[in-house]
Amino acid sequence: MTTYDDRASLTDLTTTAERVRSSVEEVIEGKPEVVRLSLTVLLAEGHLLIEDVPGVGKTMLAKALARSIDCSVRRIQFTPDLLPSDITGVSIWDQQRRDFEFKPGAIFAQIVIGDEINRASPKTQSALLESMEERQVTIDGTTYELPSPFMVVATQNPVEMEGTYPLPEAQRDRFMARVSIGYPSAEAELQMLDIHGGASPLDDLQPVAHAHEIVKLIDAVRTVHVADPVRRYAVDLVGATRSHPDLRLGASPRATLHLLRAAKASAALSGRDYALPDDVQALAVAVLAHRLLPTAQAQLNRRTAEQVVLEILQRTAVPAAPQPPGGLVTGRGSAALGQQPPRRL
Amino acid sequence: MSGRARLALCAAAATLLAGCALLPLVDPASWYLQAAFLLAVQTGVGAAARRVPLARSLTIAVQALVTLMLLTLSFAREQAIAGLLPGPEVFRYFGDLLQTGSDDVGRYSIPAPLSDGIRLMMVGGVVVIGLAVDALAVTFRSAAPAGLPLLALYSVAAGLSDGAAGWIWFLLAAAGYLVLLLAEGRDRLSQWGRVFGGGARAPGVAPSESALAPIRTGRRIGAVALGISLVVPLALPALDGGLLDAAGTGVGTGSGGGGTISAVNPLVSLRDSLNVDEDREVMSYRTNSEETQDLYLRIVSLDEFDGTAWKPAKRHVEDVPGSFPTPPGLGDDVLRTEVQTRISAADWYAQDWLPMPYPASQVGIDGKWRYEPVGRTLVGDHGQTTRGLEYTVKSLIVQPTAEQLADAPEPPEVLKRQFTRVPGSLPPVVAQTARDVTEGSANDYERAVKLQDWFALSGGFTYDTEVQVGSGSQAIARFLRDKEGFCVHFSFAMASMARTLGIPARVAVGFTPGSPQADGTSTVGLRDAHAWPELYFEGVGWTRFEPTPSRGTVPEYTRTDTPGTTVPNPDVPSRSSSTAPSAEPSDSESCTAAEKKLEQPCGSESPQAAFGATNDDPPWFLLLVLALAGLAVLAVPLLPMLWRIRARSVRLGAHGRTEADTAAATLAAWQEVSDTAWDFGIAPDESQTPRKAAARIVHVGHLDPEAAASVHRVADAVEQVLYAPRPRPTAGLGDDVRRMTAGLRATADRGTRLRALLAPRSTVRVAWAVSDGWIALRSRAAARWAAVLRRPSGQNS
Repeated sequence: MTTYDDRASLTDLTTTAERVRSSVEEVIEGKPEVVRLSLTVLLAEGHLLIEDVPGVGKTMLAKALARSIDCSVRRIQFTPDLLPSDITGVSIWDQQRRDFEFKPGAIFAQIVIGDEINRASPKTQSALLESMEERQVTIDGTTYELPSPFMVVATQNPVEMEGTYPLPEAQRDRFMARVSIGYPSAEAELQMLDIHGGASPLDDLQPVAHAHEIVKLIDAVRTVHVADPVRRYAVDLVGATRSHPDLRLGASPRATLHLLRAAKASAALSGRDYALPDDVQALAVAVLAHRLLPTAQAQLNRRTAEQVVLEILQRTAVPAAPQPPGGLVTGRGSAALGQQPPRRL
Repeated sequence: MSGRARLALCAAAATLLAGCALLPLVDPASWYLQAAFLLAVQTGVGAAARRVPLARSLTIAVQALVTLMLLTLSFAREQAIAGLLPGPEVFRYFGDLLQTGSDDVGRYSIPAPLSDGIRLMMVGGVVVIGLAVDALAVTFRSAAPAGLPLLALYSVAAGLSDGAAGWIWFLLAAAGYLVLLLAEGRDRLSQWGRVFGGGARAPGVAPSESALAPIRTGRRIGAVALGISLVVPLALPALDGGLLDAAGTGVGTGSGGGGTISAVNPLVSLRDSLNVDEDREVMSYRTNSEETQDLYLRIVSLDEFDGTAWKPAKRHVEDVPGSFPTPPGLGDDVLRTEVQTRISAADWYAQDWLPMPYPASQVGIDGKWRYEPVGRTLVGDHGQTTRGLEYTVKSLIVQPTAEQLADAPEPPEVLKRQFTRVPGSLPPVVAQTARDVTEGSANDYERAVKLQDWFALSGGFTYDTEVQVGSGSQAIARFLRDKEGFCVHFSFAMASMARTLGIPARVAVGFTPGSPQADGTSTVGLRDAHAWPELYFEGVGWTRFEPTPSRGTVPEYTRTDTPGTTVPNPDVPSRSSSTAPSAEPSDSESCTAAEKKLEQPCGSESPQAAFGATNDDPPWFLLLVLALAGLAVLAVPLLPMLWRIRARSVRLGAHGRTEADTAAATLAAWQEVSDTAWDFGIAPDESQTPRKAAARIVHVGHLDPEAAASVHRVADAVEQVLYAPRPRPTAGLGDDVRRMTAGLRATADRGTRLRALLAPRSTVRVAWAVSDGWIALRSRAAARWAAVLRRPSGQNS
């Protein structure tokens, strides 16, 4: 029964995801891979960090994604004077009921858009920690569950910009992926002028999927199969960041988890019920790069974390000789395999 | 029985059948059983090793090791460590044995006696060929090339053995090879049958039929090929005169080299340079004897006559005594002179027996020599030869008078019995002729002289080195009828006839005294090689006769002015006057003059004796080694290609129907795709996923859409196998790979194609595998060593 449901929702998933994607792409021109990555993160129950220079459509992307799904959306404009309680909520003394009443903060929504997240003080940024990881908020000893699905889409300017506080490592680690939108191509920019010249296209955007559909899709993604070699590959990649000479800080085990979850979602988006090393490769930079801290020397050499991840991708072998699940290691099969002359690679 | 086990059995059987061709070379054939046993063990070890499974090279190594240990156990137990483990001592001993073996091969005619050396060569050769066949046919699963070692084995044997009845051995060897091919074909075909033979629903009928039909075809092809190969040579001009042919003449009767008679002679059997164009100097000597015409340099005496051949009897040898005992039968009253001769043999002249004047009384020589008392010869031990030796011989010149010979009493019974023995197969005409020729003689001496004179003077015999007397016991009869032959025939015939008359006789082989030089030395050349009869007279001993016309010198004591019945007393006085100085040179000259015709056989026969194992005529074992080495050298550059072809056929070959088998086959197909691309210059990149690797191959290789689709199909299948929870089976991957290969070949230039075929880059995997194995081995050894080191300290603490 459940199997049947899962399977059904896997095909649903592609169609639903397709709807959402085309909806978002009405607003974000010429950046299909960014849109796809946003969807991937949504389906993998992650949070998305959009980092780029001002004016390339970071907020537009976040809002378009939120609009395309029929769910509760809150937007927080991070400023240096924003307080943690503005995000999580606050208990207020209710005179009439003679009790503290909890006033939920902006975090209590299914999609939370954190605009210019690095303009808030680290203290305020840290208010997001619990909610992002554990999907709950604890105020005055009381724990409040957050709705599902729950996704934080934060935008930020590069840290070199004026008046910003770089996100603490723990905070960055909680974002599943970071994406840069980049400048549009000339053509896309021209087209954008046409569309955005009049009314904002966001206004015309209608929800194309309901929140509970998304929840179902997320469940479907969870059933995607990840074979042993793929897991091993993810572990190898993440492990390589920890010993890389150009990195002061490698990726955490949570990064491995995120990488695999994202790979599952990506596989599901492609209509596969199993993840490929290709999925992992495609997501590695987005998922890993923002968690890494290059050494001072590497920074002097203008080595970015992205470059390091790409290099690791080129140097890490894709596990192909299998000890796969349910495997080749039975009886004659393994013997036959063992007798082939080159038994490695 | 599994296909592989059957294949292994067939490989062993094929080797044994081809090895049958060696049977006529050696007598007795007990070595064959030993070889069969070793081969069986080797095959068993191979089967077990393949089951493990080890890498193929390891399998072969294990087989070789076990075989070496068994050989050690059989041949060099005393030299081995713990009786089994071959150390350097063993290899040295093997070297010695092989050396002796090759010497023996040089010494004996076919069939040779089974000495240890020969046995090692036989058993070792068969086992080595067996290993090669097993490795090729079973371990590497390509039976066809296994024909090469089999052919080498058969060729060597066939080239050396007498041509007679050779077709039986060929039939056996060919049958063995055919069986091997059939077994492999059957193995392969039955695998196809299983794969294509429809689903599991009708496993019984379809596969067996589909497998049987091709097998039948294979049998037919084999039978036809075999028939053609047997019949066609008959219709073709004879293929004489090749490499093997030279060996053949060396071994057998050769160019009528005395027919039966020469075939008899083990020494004769090794005639290498029958047709020496130039007279090479064999040795030179300086003697204090005034007259050298009687200084025949004797090598060995052939004292056993079996009707077809004269051979040296096998006798006990002992250390060389300081001075030899008095020659047997030499009485005190016979005139004798002791002469001293210093002989130096040529560097190239390797003879096991020491050429000496007869009878020698003392020899001063270095080296490992042994003394054979009956023949009074010195024989080299452990490969000792005359090569480049200088030695001094003190010998007697015995000058009996005719009276002394005529008055000789009956020889001792033992000696007479031994040296007058003739086989029953000797044609009666021999004895009859002997009686006719010697009719009216009063004593043995007269008979002997009449015989000699009949051959040399009055019988109408001509010296001809190219006669074809043939072989077998009828050869002597034929010689007596045709009256043409050379020294071997004359001496053999006279000795045989003397025996029928009750005169103890044997044949000596050696050299005539050669030509005196201006500086007082004499040189002996190849063409001075000779054979002559020795007859025994009590009171005088073994006495030389010279029945061969125009060769050597007739001994004075046999000279008769008139070939009548008169006792040759008159000769005695004339002896000194008619010294051979005139006779000797003239003799040798006549020989040289007659050489055009004569010398070849004469030279050839005695050279055979003289040469022993000289370098001119490679013994057959050398041929075997050379053939194998040649094959190996030829095969080495082709190894990458062979490995590649082999790997491809294994990867794309038949596989089982289970999920695991399919998965393995898919991975193998992918491996083949990337290796083929590599061969065409698209190096594999381990950091790429199958999908990306496929895209890269398509892009770099400029594949056409069809081939590109094939590559992607294989990549998809691999993804399924590696990453999907329930792999979707993909059929026809082999065809996909072939399409891709064709696509790559179509877009590659000629050089690339050639390189992909002959020197495929992906063969470097073999080197990797070897180095990996080596590293693993070393690290394991290091770990073990570390553990060993740690243990004592652990105990201490």
